[in-house]
Amino acid sequence: MSKHYNEGASFLERLVFNNRPAVILLCVVISAFLFFQAANVKPQTSFEKMIPLQHSFIQNMLEHRNDLANLGNSIRISVEAKDGDIFTKEYMETLRLINDEVFYIGGVDRSGLKSLWSPSVRWTEVTEEGFAGGEVIPQTYDGSAESLDELRNNVLKSGQIGRLVANNFKSSIIDVPLLESYPNPENQGELLNLDYQKFSHEIEEKVRDKFQAQNPNVKVHVIGFAKKVGDLIDGIMQVVMFFGLAFGITLVMLYFFTHCIRSTLAVLLTTTIAVVWQLGLLHTFGFGLDPYSILVPFLVFAIGISHGVQKINGIALEAGKAENALVAARLTFRQLFMPGLIALLSDAVGFVTLLLIDIGVIRELAIGASMGVAVIILTNLILLPVTISYIGVSQKSVKRSREQANKESRMWRTISNFAHPVVAPISVTVALVAVVGGLWYGQNLKIGDLDPGAPELHPDSRYNLDNDFIISNYSTSSDVLVVMVKTGPEGCSTYDTQYAIDQLMWKLDNTEGVQSTISLVTVAKQVIKGMNEGNLKWESLSRNQDILNNAISRGTELYNGDCSLAPVLVFLNDHKADTLIRAVDAVEEFSAEYSTEDRQFLLAAGNAGIEAATNEVIDASEETMLMAVYAAVSFMCLLTFRSIAATLCVILPLVLTSILGNALMAYLGIGVKVATLPVIALGVGIGVDYGIYIYSRLETFLRKGLTLQDAYYETLRSTGKAVLFTGLCLAIAVATWIFSAIKFQADMGLMLTFMFLWNMVGAIWLLPALARFLIKPEKLRQS
Amino acid sequence: MFEPNARRSTACDAAAHRLSLRMPALLKPLALSLSLGLVSAQAVAADKIKTYDSIASSRAVESLLVDVSAAGGNLVAVGERGHVLISRDKGQSWKQVVVPTRQLLTSLFFVDEKNGWAVGHDAVILATTDGGATWVKQFEEPEREAPLLDIWFRDSQVGYAVGAYGALLTTSNGGKTWQDVSDRLDNEDGYHLNAIGEVKGSGLLAVGELGNMFRSLDYGMTWEIVESPYEGSLFGVLSGSAVGEAVVYGLRGHIFYTADFGTTWTEVQAKNEDGVIEYGLSDGARLADGSLLIVGHGGTVLRSRDGGKSFSVFNRPDRISLAGVAPAADGQLVLVGQGGVHMTDGTGASLED
Repeated sequence: MSKHYNEGASFLERLVFNNRPAVILLCVVISAFLFFQAANVKPQTSFEKMIPLQHSFIQNMLEHRNDLANLGNSIRISVEAKDGDIFTKEYMETLRLINDEVFYIGGVDRSGLKSLWSPSVRWTEVTEEGFAGGEVIPQTYDGSAESLDELRNNVLKSGQIGRLVANNFKSSIIDVPLLESYPNPENQGELLNLDYQKFSHEIEEKVRDKFQAQNPNVKVHVIGFAKKVGDLIDGIMQVVMFFGLAFGITLVMLYFFTHCIRSTLAVLLTTTIAVVWQLGLLHTFGFGLDPYSILVPFLVFAIGISHGVQKINGIALEAGKAENALVAARLTFRQLFMPGLIALLSDAVGFVTLLLIDIGVIRELAIGASMGVAVIILTNLILLPVTISYIGVSQKSVKRSREQANKESRMWRTISNFAHPVVAPISVTVALVAVVGGLWYGQNLKIGDLDPGAPELHPDSRYNLDNDFIISNYSTSSDVLVVMVKTGPEGCSTYDTQYAIDQLMWKLDNTEGVQSTISLVTVAKQVIKGMNEGNLKWESLSRNQDILNNAISRGTELYNGDCSLAPVLVFLNDHKADTLIRAVDAVEEFSAEYSTEDRQFLLAAGNAGIEAATNEVIDASEETMLMAVYAAVSFMCLLTFRSIAATLCVILPLVLTSILGNALMAYLGIGVKVATLPVIALGVGIGVDYGIYIYSRLETFLRKGLTLQDAYYETLRSTGKAVLFTGLCLAIAVATWIFSAIKFQADMGLMLTFMFLWNMVGAIWLLPALARFLIKPEKLRQS
Repeated sequence: MFEPNARRSTACDAAAHRLSLRMPALLKPLALSLSLGLVSAQAVAADKIKTYDSIASSRAVESLLVDVSAAGGNLVAVGERGHVLISRDKGQSWKQVVVPTRQLLTSLFFVDEKNGWAVGHDAVILATTDGGATWVKQFEEPEREAPLLDIWFRDSQVGYAVGAYGALLTTSNGGKTWQDVSDRLDNEDGYHLNAIGEVKGSGLLAVGELGNMFRSLDYGMTWEIVESPYEGSLFGVLSGSAVGEAVVYGLRGHIFYTADFGTTWTEVQAKNEDGVIEYGLSDGARLADGSLLIVGHGGTVLRSRDGGKSFSVFNRPDRISLAGVAPAADGQLVLVGQGGVHMTDGTGASLED
């Protein structure tokens, strides 16, 4: 062994390089264990992790979850007649077949299944004898013109227009309530949990594909939570493909960068090991992969590659001088371990600030990413140099890097002009203009989701097109805010409570963005009218308690078992933050006026209620998180460079990126939401790497006595290529996400790509310009 | 002290008799027992009943409205939540008037172009002396737990209001005081009185539940039972053009014509292409040209040009339930009901269609 290289070596270096077989063995053992763990990682979407559990709205919702259970998990299948209307023999036959098919799909609550073919769907009319009524599709139905006429009349009398039958009579709905757990058809004793993905696939195959093929005149539209979740899980699976894509592109780029198969494979191998370890650890600690945390392997991969590249770059440079691969690896380790460690720790610190946000998926993202970064310290800062010390780098690449090290580079010479005393003030002015412009435009940035339909999916996804179809043809919206009216037992039926609910509903009906409201009062008024021969003059609450009790007995899904909780369903036009805020404000204003000790108006359940809570949390955490992440990375820079000026040089370009990022989001109509908030922390946390690498080199050269521009030129020549490469690696890994079927992943991919690339531009362009104003080379030389 | 309705010792018999017939019958004895048994509790509850002014809302014009009437050149409509709307341009635009109740107002009557009254739930009676621009509350009795359903005035002083459970109220001082005179009617079981109206040159006719009819030759002081041709509920009275001529109408498209102030009745069948209509009929109006209009469920608009002996039928394609009709300008009509105000042509078809 080359003992003399132990001189000047740190303890860590000696520990690693004098026990190389042990290091390799250890890593193999750990990899074997974690690979096994990683193989068991499952895609999962936990509802609770995606919402701010500590928010009062959510607390209220969870506290009364059982009382709201009736509001239910259901899907709605709308069967559209492409030509003509639904009153044809063929259409009704297809509808019946679909109804029967759905009946047998596992997880369907058969007793609640509702369509025109259900006996429970009836028409009623008032006669001298009382209520008369019957099934909408009469027993005598035979598809003849007369019975279709009768059907049409029954539908008109049934009050189902806008609900089960479209306003234009061109489609009708099958309402399919689902059971979260249901008996196994093969073994009735066993309960199966509803598998959303499987269910969603069954609906596609057994309903949509099958019947659209069978009757070319029908088009099937499906919406509902289960379908949406099924589509989301499918989207997660698609991400695996993106990983392959990113892997392939990176492989090609690495080869072009190193011109050495051996080191390319070594970097890919150690980085893949980092990803496997991260996934393995995720499973070991009991986490799964959700649509957010699936970003982490991509980040780990990109960060691993970029640090690996720095190592390979160093080793190739050293290999020219050193006697063998081991020595080159040791020298590189000695030189790059500390900056690498600091850069990775900055990343981790940036991620940790995400813990400030009280939303499970973001916290898990933070934990997962921090674990991943810790893993990279082991794999790419230690295992990689050790591996290279065995396999070495190809002579071709050693020669190439040596040539490049001595050759004048016109590109880097040109770019070094950013440090020029004339160019620097221009750059800073441009940056200032960009800051002001960005801040001004960034004011348009909105909190929350801005697109209609299911915000998780693209506006033009099939789910959202189906959703559009249903909301435009039926009198229901898919954005529902639920106000929970809480009373003592039996309190929900009292006149005072119902009067208050009625007042709340009217206040909301008059709030901009509210489409309609429904509660037990709606039912009570209808029943009271019905009991009075359908006379509109009676469509009002009665002060008589017995009449009220009787009236609400027909709307049992609109209050809980002991009549202590009654939801008010508020249908909104959309789920834009302004709409949500207006509705929430209206309820809070009302609550302040009408709440008593035994009657409270609690916010909120329903998808819009959850979004309102999420928006509030996001809004409240956004600034805190930004300040925390900047404080953290500034602290890391101060610790490294022990200079406020240096810290400013590194941090200010990041600030510009954050501001422009906000403006870009405003421009693209992407709101600040669960998916985009982490992007800010990730962008800053990872973006600081460039600055750290560039500034640490720059400082070294300045200390040697070079002028700023010369020092910057030398910096670029030695590390510029690696910085460029790092930026591209990171960008490519996340850019594949832009094609994700899941809208928020696409948003994250787009914003991260922008942040990574622009942070790189900022570091190369703005850092030297700022250094021109902030750094005094003479001072550095003296010290 | 109050009595919620006139149904007393025979109430239970009547209830038993009617139990098999209709749903509301199930509830009325309950209402009775509750009101008798829990008088003190209710008195306390009554103290707590707050009354509020109606809420001004741009959506009032599309809320449930159940009556509309001409007041001189203006049109006035009333409906849920104490909504009162006034139009000074023959129905083209409507402005809400804030009034001192949030209860559903059920009926409206203008005795001349200035003086009008509206009744509603909580037995509320509102009055205007300026053609509907401002309203005051003259009477209210929430403890009744029952609505007033129709009102009629002979002049600016003497008037009658009818309502649920056989309520008959009267005033002789323009509504400054109201008196419960339900016992002027022989209506021991307290059947709802749905409508009251004048029959030209003859007297007053009140109609109600289960085909009950009462007439008063002396305009309200004494009443006699009219032998009814129908056992279903009647919702309205319209006077014809000749003395003693009138139609009454109600459930399932039933219309009856009399030329002798109710002594004899003839059934009138309103037919469309599908046959005799079976939609409940709610309210009507007599136009200046003497033709009669009746509206009801299923978007039904009927018109008679022969004093009620026959009707033509129009069913609006939207099939909404209608509850009131009044003439607007140029032969147009204003209909009210579900969805608020609907401006239509003379047949009842929406103008925008």
